[in-house]
Amino acid sequence: MFALALRSVRQRPGRFAATLFSAFLGALIIMTFNSMHDTAAGAGVDDRSAETLTVAASVVGGYGSLLVFFAVASTLTVAVRQRADEIELLRTTGATPAQIKRMVVGEAFAVALLGAALAVIPAMFGGRALLDLFQDSGQVAGSVEHSFGPIALSTGFDITLLASVCAAFLAVRRAGRRTVRKQGRARTFFSYAALGAGALSLASTSAFDGDAEMLMAPAAYGAILLSVCCALLSTRILPVALTVLEGPVTALAGAGGYLTVRNMRQRAAQLSNVLMPLILFTGMAVATLYMQGVENDAVRASGLVKAADAKTLETLNYAVVGIIVAFCCIMLINTLYATTSYRVREFGQQRLAGATPRQVLAMVAAESTVLTVTGVALGSLTGFAGIVAFTSVRTDGLLPGQGLGIWLAVTGIAAAVTIGTSVGTAWRQLRAPAVEAVALAA
Amino acid sequence: MFGRRDKAQRPSGRHSDEALRLVKVSKSYGEGESAVRALDGVSLSLPRGTFTAVMGPSGSGKTTLLQCAAGLERPDSGIVMVAGEEMSKGSEAELTKFRRRRIGFVFQQYNLLPTLTVAQNTILPLKLAGRRIDKAKARSVLEQVGLGGRLKHRPDELSGGQRQRVAIARALVTEPAVVFADEPTGALDIRSARDVLRLLQEAVRVHGRTVVMVTHDPVAASYADSVVFLADGRLAGHMQRPTVDAVAERLAHLGDDINGHDYAAQGV
Repeated sequence: MFALALRSVRQRPGRFAATLFSAFLGALIIMTFNSMHDTAAGAGVDDRSAETLTVAASVVGGYGSLLVFFAVASTLTVAVRQRADEIELLRTTGATPAQIKRMVVGEAFAVALLGAALAVIPAMFGGRALLDLFQDSGQVAGSVEHSFGPIALSTGFDITLLASVCAAFLAVRRAGRRTVRKQGRARTFFSYAALGAGALSLASTSAFDGDAEMLMAPAAYGAILLSVCCALLSTRILPVALTVLEGPVTALAGAGGYLTVRNMRQRAAQLSNVLMPLILFTGMAVATLYMQGVENDAVRASGLVKAADAKTLETLNYAVVGIIVAFCCIMLINTLYATTSYRVREFGQQRLAGATPRQVLAMVAAESTVLTVTGVALGSLTGFAGIVAFTSVRTDGLLPGQGLGIWLAVTGIAAAVTIGTSVGTAWRQLRAPAVEAVALAA
Repeated sequence: MFGRRDKAQRPSGRHSDEALRLVKVSKSYGEGESAVRALDGVSLSLPRGTFTAVMGPSGSGKTTLLQCAAGLERPDSGIVMVAGEEMSKGSEAELTKFRRRRIGFVFQQYNLLPTLTVAQNTILPLKLAGRRIDKAKARSVLEQVGLGGRLKHRPDELSGGQRQRVAIARALVTEPAVVFADEPTGALDIRSARDVLRLLQEAVRVHGRTVVMVTHDPVAASYADSVVFLADGRLAGHMQRPTVDAVAERLAHLGDDINGHDYAAQGV
């Protein structure tokens, strides 16, 4: 079955592009940050440099890895779901469930391995660039040489492979069943597990000293885990959101809106896979950017660092956090593109039923808007939980003093990316004649 | 059920008793030397209230003929007129709006939306066109096709025959001037196929619709009032009141015919 897996990857490279891309990017991020561990362990690195590098690697590298795990897993879930027809075909041709499982998991393994392998060389350059950032800001001695070693490699490969294989295993189990009407027990279990772990992680911030450098880590972990919990529970949250939004959506988008509401009710499970990167992006961006702001203010207020140094430190930290936020954003685009481009047949059927291209686009836009509203609301909530946990320990207050500017910017980007990618992809799908579009995927 | 309640809204069928007219319609695929002429100057006229089967061997252009006539493909040249009005040559949106009022489709692969129920699928064309939804009428159309008890089911809970009957209800609910059916029984068992063909026949005989059906099955064609034969993108014959044997016989010798006669010239 593994041979069949390899053959199916080779025959249709396009289908695996999204998965390969997410594995590549995920491994790149993990390896880049974790190569700081290798660098810190190098000979002749002074204590202060080593500490800076280790903190960066364990804090950002740590929650970055967790983030990569879920991002890769959600892309893979989308990819496997899209192959339900093919899996059904294999089953009717006589493949046993175990064989199908081996094939899909084998494919996921092969693609993740390739993605991680491709990321090695870029991660070497990425790690060097990151080290340069630290050195330019004076946080790390200029004499420190970048080293790309076993920690970067093993974490990069392990996490990417583990995320892919786990997600493929769970997704194929779901796809292999005939009826998926009921809420899966696994989904419920994982969502509560994520909720518990997230709450625990947030609570553990209080065990840290106010100025501990690791303080940001548990808060970020907590925000990520709560985001995952929300994404998993979104199959239940979406119908509620739809009931609230049905009126305005139908009023604004007309017949397209009518389709949107009915579609989304039926496809809540698939949409939760799209919500995952959206909630992660919003939650992570809001949490990390506000926490960094609070941290910067606290450092400046403490007067421990000279004003000029504080400035470079702020820039450095924002740059590091920015990498993670950018990663979330790219994963969001990747998932949205993959899911929308798969719907060419559905769009064709709507057009054959008498929908104009504009109505199809209105439907997609309305759907993305509902997704954005739900995703941003949930993401803000989880991000906010992380911020409060961090701020309450780091400062005397509960809330950060940064104002709403960052939140508005993050929300704006989330809305622009979600609606822009979906509508743009759908618009491209509409260029094919409807009859061809329907025949294409049949 | 397909009563002409809203006469004022009906497309301008009152001008002519002609439901469909094709004038020298041609269509090629590909470019240069590899170009294939799928339709070669086909002219055709179908009166209202008729059930016509279009037959021919694979690659004879019958599906292209249907798609050009139904406004799903744009012919390279020639004129398509539905209920006395020339088909729009504008954007896809204009073409869609033209089709909404005048044309209904039934496909081999049903093309029902999987996320909508039977009732929702049926009224979808009305919804999209922004027309008033007459729920009672939609229900009576579905009862007519024998699915009155399955309004809330989704397509994946139905058999192939039932799905095709939903598709027929969807095609009829807008009261179109012409219903086009592309191999509507191609994926069905004999029994379901017979039900579907009887429904199409009933739409014509009882309710005065016009149906054009592409098929390669002589049995299916025998339900029609007349058969138009197509070979190499040209009309190759015409038969009134077809029987299964006569159709099969003609189909078998279609290859011999096209070299000897030019049926298109006989004004079919």
